[in-house]
Amino acid sequence: MATNGSSSGAAVWAILRKECRSEWRTRYGLNAALLFSVTTLTVVSFAVGRLSDRTDLLSAMLWVVLLFAALASLSHAFVREVEGRTMTMLRLVASPTAIALGKLLFNLLFLVVLELVTVPLFLVLMGGPPPRWGPFLAVLALGSFALGTSSTLVGAVIAQTRGRGALFAGVSFPILLPVLAAAVSGTRAQWQGGAVGADLRLLASLGLALLGASLLLYDHLWED
Amino acid sequence: MFLRLLLLVWIAAAIVAGFAWAPTVPYLEETTRVLYFHIPAAWVTVLALGWSVVHSVLYLRTRKLEHDDQAAGAAELGILFCIGATVSGSMWAKAQWGSYWNWDPRETSIFFLLLIYAAYLALRSAVEAEERRARLAAIYSVAAFVAVPFLMFVVPRIYQTLHPSPIIGRGSEGGMDPRIRVVFYAMLIGFTGMFYWLLSLRVRTARLERRLAEA
Amino acid sequence: MSAAPAASPTLAVALEAEDLRHRYGRRVGLERVSFSLAGPGAVAITGPNGSGKTTLLRLIAGLLRPTEGRTRLRVGDAEVPPAERRRWIGLATPDLAFYEELSVAENLSFAAEARGLAAPAQAVAETLERVELAVRGADRVAALSSGMKQRLRLAFALLHRPAVLLLDEAGSHLDEAGRRLVNRVVAAARREALVLIATNDERETGLGDQRIELRGRGLGDPA
Repeated sequence: MATNGSSSGAAVWAILRKECRSEWRTRYGLNAALLFSVTTLTVVSFAVGRLSDRTDLLSAMLWVVLLFAALASLSHAFVREVEGRTMTMLRLVASPTAIALGKLLFNLLFLVVLELVTVPLFLVLMGGPPPRWGPFLAVLALGSFALGTSSTLVGAVIAQTRGRGALFAGVSFPILLPVLAAAVSGTRAQWQGGAVGADLRLLASLGLALLGASLLLYDHLWED
Repeated sequence: MFLRLLLLVWIAAAIVAGFAWAPTVPYLEETTRVLYFHIPAAWVTVLALGWSVVHSVLYLRTRKLEHDDQAAGAAELGILFCIGATVSGSMWAKAQWGSYWNWDPRETSIFFLLLIYAAYLALRSAVEAEERRARLAAIYSVAAFVAVPFLMFVVPRIYQTLHPSPIIGRGSEGGMDPRIRVVFYAMLIGFTGMFYWLLSLRVRTARLERRLAEA
Repeated sequence: MSAAPAASPTLAVALEAEDLRHRYGRRVGLERVSFSLAGPGAVAITGPNGSGKTTLLRLIAGLLRPTEGRTRLRVGDAEVPPAERRRWIGLATPDLAFYEELSVAENLSFAAEARGLAAPAQAVAETLERVELAVRGADRVAALSSGMKQRLRLAFALLHRPAVLLLDEAGSHLDEAGRRLVNRVVAAARREALVLIATNDERETGLGDQRIELRGRGLGDPA
């Protein structure tokens, strides 16, 4: 990659700020995603009630809610560029890698905001506080990281297809499945007082492997 | 022509031998014979995925559409063999474990591969222009391939296995009747040959179609 | 900061196309074409609809990967590969759209910052003056008329003082004042950059001192 370090860093930063500003003005993605996750949460909570003593179900439910919220929103960053026909402009000012990294950072930030609302609400409605906050938050953070890297890459691919958003869930699911499995396993382990180290390592290495693969693949993302 | 005939005779002979010549294993009884179909199908499923990924990488490097034909053809065959392996495994599970589906780690893994194949083909069908389709599909295939080994790690952590320590597995192979092994390896070779033959047909058709469209 | 084009003095530019050809799927976007151009200067690219003018500009800008052949760009002494073209090229094409929810100035600031320009705010202010859009700087893009959007496209292309300026139907949607503006912009830019003007409009083809004519069957091929 011949891109100049400092200027592509500037591009990533500029894209992240642009995304935040656009999102703030339109609230295109966030409102929908928040509404979606709160709805899912309510449905689950209403249907099964409190689950404080069933920590295995609790951890699965938490990640199902987060996964659905992510699936409903994380492709927007790219789909919006395609639908607004602004991709050409973006490609003229930044390298594919800078674009994808900027979008990735935005998606991670987006997930953080989403979780700030969803997770406390989930704990209140469904369970109660986790026994140990450290491991709980670590699994949440690394799970979101892996969720973000994989869905950003798939989002960039899917934005260029005919189905766009409609295809996103189905196509990103196989890649998200190991993320989901490891995150559920880690969350359950911390609830049951077990060790979460193995799951954390798994989530971190999966996130990093997908990020590494993405960095190699980003150069091929846009060519027409 | 000769090779095709040889393949036909080879597989036919192996099937007959599998039922008439090779003995059964105690406990598994007649279900032993699923081994000759199920495992070769699962093997081709994995082989096809690898083949598809290798050609996806080659496509991204060279931009020759022949690589895309290979990747797509392998995936289309891969999903067929994957369905075959899943169904035969599920039937065997019903006979042995009493239920068709248990989310056993192996069942989960093959189901995961099925999902990847299905997503890859769904993605392909959603892109019109062939260069773009080839490029996006190749990107996806590499990304999905990166996720595969992780699932193999994580699945056993979630689902307690129902799988009996496999009589067919590595450790016990030495104790297996040599006739079973002969038929098994013959079928493995036969399935691999069949995959290769079908793939070459598929790639040739794709090439001819493209030439026809350009003429 | 490496290449900061805003500060660069006039550089010699050489642009070549070798057996360049492009297909979109099965459809031919650009029939085989070869040429060699040197700048600063201005060149008109003409040809009937569908002959590939826009495609050619997108290929030069590195937005498209050629199906066959290649383009070569040298700026000063350095060869610029397609992946790096965006630094040196300014492109204004009718399908260029901006973020509707951001203002004119915000869109340009974003471009200037993403390009890593040394003084983004200054570049934006100067460029807005240059296309006579300064009074609309705070307006959202959604509120602009099509003529104003066209001026914004010009501003976007000029922002980083590119060594190669690609103008596709630059006069579209513009009134008489706008067309005079295009003339002035081209007259100024051709002194420091290689300007390619893709158009069939007589008023714009005259701006180029050379002309490349794209035909359905391509330049190099005997019909």
